Amino acid sequence: MSTFRRAQSQAHPNKTSTLMLAIVVLLILNVTIQIWLLYTGLNNALEHNKGIAFPAFIGSFTILIINCGLLYYLPRRRR
Amino acid sequence: MPNNKEKDPDWKNDFPINQSEVTEVTRRQFAKFLCLVSGGLATGSAFVAAKAAFFPGKKVQGLHRVCSINELPVGGTRAFVLEGSSTPYVLIHLENGEFKAYEQKCTHLSCAVFYKPGSGKIECPCHNGWFDAMTGEVLQGPPPRPLPRLDVQVTGNDIFVTAAKEEA
Repeated sequence: MSTFRRAQSQAHPNKTSTLMLAIVVLLILNVTIQIWLLYTGLNNALEHNKGIAFPAFIGSFTILIINCGLLYYLPRRRR
Repeated sequence: MPNNKEKDPDWKNDFPINQSEVTEVTRRQFAKFLCLVSGGLATGSAFVAAKAAFFPGKKVQGLHRVCSINELPVGGTRAFVLEGSSTPYVLIHLENGEFKAYEQKCTHLSCAVFYKPGSGKIECPCHNGWFDAMTGEVLQGPPPRPLPRLDVQVTGNDIFVTAAKEEA
């Protein structure tokens, strides 16, 4: 049975390289959003707007799950 | 020759002998590191949410006398600390006759802030941050939040401060 992993391993190095780059760019973007969420949640909590902190945490945790999921699609090391 | 690097334990790969290998970070490693950073940020957000929900900061309780009106000329300021607390505050006698009290810590990096007489502004000299002396709102610069304030009550010849009422 053919899986995406097998196809990925057989793909041209240029393709896997592009995929790797895309995943790294997505991770950087997600981490940037998380920094913004932490900054906003913290500042609002210190300003007594406590309602922001919990949704910010939920958003940040969701992004963490997405990031961990993205690691699954990292191309395998070449042999 | 068999590939020894495959057999080596992880710590040998993490602390290689050759200097050139030290700086080598693969894109896989970088992606995993970004995930670690992501986990750290999510943990930080969880900490902030838990702190805000379960351990709110202590509010100032009751009335506290700061000084008498005669001791504070127009445009003058007086730094004070409340009993049982180490947070520095500053009482300002504005040019329009009003008294205002704020925390004397910039909301950016906690530098001491100073009232600039005649300007109606409070200055943070560290990074050129400016606050409105009437409201404590940020006018300019890097501070992300207004200065926390205390309510001022003048009774007879004495000036008292108390916790600021929450604005709806």
